[in-house]
Amino acid sequence: MTHTILICDDDRDIVSALDIYLSSEGYQTVKAYNGREALRAVEQNDIHLILMDVMMPELDGIRTTAKLREGSNVPIILLTAKSEDADKILGLNIGADDYITKPFNPLEVIARVKSQLRRYTSLGGAEKGPGLLCVGPIAMDDSAKQVTVDGSPVSLTPIEYNILKLLLSHPGQVFSSAQIYEQVWNDPAYGSENTVAVHIRHLREKIEINPADPRYLKVVWGLGYKIEKGANG
Amino acid sequence: MKKLQESPLSKAAAVVLMLALTFTGAVFALKAVQAVPYLDRESYQETTEFSRLCRTFEDQIASAFALERQLEAEDLTYVERQQLTRELEQLKQSFDSSATNFRFVVCNDAGEDVAFNLNAGEELPAPVHYARFTLGEPWAEELYQAGYAAVEATAAEDGVTEITIKAPADPVSYTIEYAVVPGEQMLESGVEDALCQLYLRYDTATSTFSTWVGVAGSCLVLAAACILFLLWTAGHKAGTEGIVLTWQEKIFFDLYLAAMLVAGTAVFAGGWWLLEYYYHTCVEQQGQEGAWLPLSIAALCTLFAAVIALTLRTFAVRLKGRALARTTLLCRVIVWLWRKLVEAGRWMIELVRSLPFLWRTIAGFLAYFLANVALFTEARYNALAGAIWWLLNLAVLLFLCRWSMGFRKLRRGSQAIAAGNLSYQIDTHRMPHELRCHAEDLNNISKGMAEAVDEQMKSERFKAELITNVSHDLKTPLTSIINYVDLLKTTQQEDPKAREYIEVLDRKSQRLKKLTEDLVEASKASTGVLSVNREKIGMAQLMDQALGEWQEKLEARKLTLVTSLPEGETWVYADGRHLWRVLDNLLSNCAKYAMEGTRVYLDLVRGHGQVSLSVKNISREPLNIPPERLMERFVRGEESRTTEGSGLGLSIARSLTELQGGTFELAVDGDLFKAMVTLPQAN
Repeated sequence: MTHTILICDDDRDIVSALDIYLSSEGYQTVKAYNGREALRAVEQNDIHLILMDVMMPELDGIRTTAKLREGSNVPIILLTAKSEDADKILGLNIGADDYITKPFNPLEVIARVKSQLRRYTSLGGAEKGPGLLCVGPIAMDDSAKQVTVDGSPVSLTPIEYNILKLLLSHPGQVFSSAQIYEQVWNDPAYGSENTVAVHIRHLREKIEINPADPRYLKVVWGLGYKIEKGANG
Repeated sequence: MKKLQESPLSKAAAVVLMLALTFTGAVFALKAVQAVPYLDRESYQETTEFSRLCRTFEDQIASAFALERQLEAEDLTYVERQQLTRELEQLKQSFDSSATNFRFVVCNDAGEDVAFNLNAGEELPAPVHYARFTLGEPWAEELYQAGYAAVEATAAEDGVTEITIKAPADPVSYTIEYAVVPGEQMLESGVEDALCQLYLRYDTATSTFSTWVGVAGSCLVLAAACILFLLWTAGHKAGTEGIVLTWQEKIFFDLYLAAMLVAGTAVFAGGWWLLEYYYHTCVEQQGQEGAWLPLSIAALCTLFAAVIALTLRTFAVRLKGRALARTTLLCRVIVWLWRKLVEAGRWMIELVRSLPFLWRTIAGFLAYFLANVALFTEARYNALAGAIWWLLNLAVLLFLCRWSMGFRKLRRGSQAIAAGNLSYQIDTHRMPHELRCHAEDLNNISKGMAEAVDEQMKSERFKAELITNVSHDLKTPLTSIINYVDLLKTTQQEDPKAREYIEVLDRKSQRLKKLTEDLVEASKASTGVLSVNREKIGMAQLMDQALGEWQEKLEARKLTLVTSLPEGETWVYADGRHLWRVLDNLLSNCAKYAMEGTRVYLDLVRGHGQVSLSVKNISREPLNIPPERLMERFVRGEESRTTEGSGLGLSIARSLTELQGGTFELAVDGDLFKAMVTLPQAN
């Protein structure tokens, strides 16, 4: 089954560039150039995902998102030139599922689209069994010692697995490097926490789409690491 | 209410009513005055009039006895006898009980009744009064002179009157017992003699006294109320707001008051004189002066009331119109004098101030010195001079203290301004004149400078906004460029040159992306529009995390990291994300510019409430520019701008550090590059 994606941006070149990328990945696309057109397109087509710019004439992305959320839970990814935290938080709070800052990397866009679609279509109500740790798209089956992100398995080293397990079982809680070291290595930490930071970076590279801008495994600078509680989606 | 206050009709009515009430009150008061002589007497028999009447009767009785004694003389001529007989008859008639209410019994010293005028079966009614008279010699000569009996009545003790009639024969004494018929019987019998009239007058006067007093009092109270009403309405006029001053208020109040005082005193004195006259003639003497006397007294009272009402009215209007001081001559004179005095004082101060400061100091000191010497010499003989000497020196001491206090304030202010606190304003309150001028100048300087700095800040912020907006606008086309370059890369290019060109485009567009991002961040950080959420941050943890991010990249460039940390965690108060950016920029600098195969030193030192983190590395290129220049925007360690990096890293790092209240220092020693971030330590 091919998914239909609505691309909405007032810059036509960006829309057609995204169209090329998404079409080459096998998606059907619908184009819109402002918020009103986007709303109309959603009414007329069966849309599975929306990629939308924030700053648009007539009706901006934030308001369009709010209108769409009145009657639909279709995944929305905001494209934003604003890189300020406040805008991202506003977008996510209003009902967007993810955001990508401009200028974006096409690979990242495709990865995020895939991730959102997978969760929207197949993992609508993720089945939760015993020994299954789930935060956002990350699912850990402790009995099978398997970790999946958006349903696709990720291979982790035992240490990475243990670190992820520790963080997943306490979502939202900040663990310092020393705490993680003591819990995972079962050894008192004597200045060897440095390895924890490296492991975490590797772990982040494996489960995050853009490791420099993590959505789930977050670095709390100067304090430690945490898994975002109830991470978007 | 306001209408009532402004209506001229109500005012006129009040005036007329007030005058009428005063007049009526005065008339009634005069009626009450008639009872004044009787007020402290229990009955009419105790009044002076009563005793005067009784004295007349006593005289007449004694005269009658004297006449009878005279008639007994043998050497009387016929004419004389006739005359005496007629006189006696007349007297006897006047004693007849049908003609008078006076009842008497005369008895001699033996106690025998000699004469009486009691009706049959009548006795002397109580109270009984007694009088005594003596007929004796020598009397003929006197009789001759007086025409008829000379009676000498002497007031004796116990109300008994001693009457001596100078008779030719042996002296004989008689006693008169007399009384007056009770009031009701007098009226019944219809004998209207002087006693009856006295009784009636006493009775009416005493019984109506309280009524008259009451009526007069209420009239006066009402008149006073009318005056109060007039005072309330005074100065209000229909059609005009506020208090209207009439021609009366144009007269100076003290002159007006004096005139009214004279008029009032004259009227009062005239009235008082008339009242006394009235009392003597009409009340005490029972004279009938006619209606003109009480009426004129009442008229004078009314006039007096009018004078008082006028004076009070103008006083009230002036008070209400806040014109009392203005329309009082005395006040005007005092105010004028005061103003002249102040002017003169000011002129004096101006004169002194216009002197050069040096001259003033010398003159002041000379004056002080001379006064000091004079007073000190005088103090040996004069205690007052000694006291003044002490006071003078105390005053000079206080003056010097005030000066030095002002100077200290000035000093503190200039220090604050010099230290960069441009909003500091020196308090010039209670400063000596010279210092105040100086302080005001300083305040103006600091104000001007603060304004200039503020202006600078504003333009900085405007610039930052501009950069942010431009960057946003740059990002959109940049997105297209990056995307289409990426798409180009996926196409099949036969020409190797084309592939090379696409590679260049890709690299440069990535660099452009990095540049715009850094530009926005640098402008935000340097103008302080970034929000700073400060919390307790573990420096060791942060360094650990930063190394985790960078270790592999540094190792890839053959750089060895050497870290030294103090024992335990070092806490600072900072924004973790911003601090990470600082560290990230420093490490990225190392990765970009450090010579391969060298070591990078990271040292964390704490002490004296400060935490400093230093990053040291050996530069690959010679650092031929001073460290200050390195922190400027778009300046990099090498002249050619071909390498990656925007040249904004150190600038951003410094701005972010300063935003968090820390300091950022760079040092260059040959090829050794050292960056030091210092932050206040958190407990």
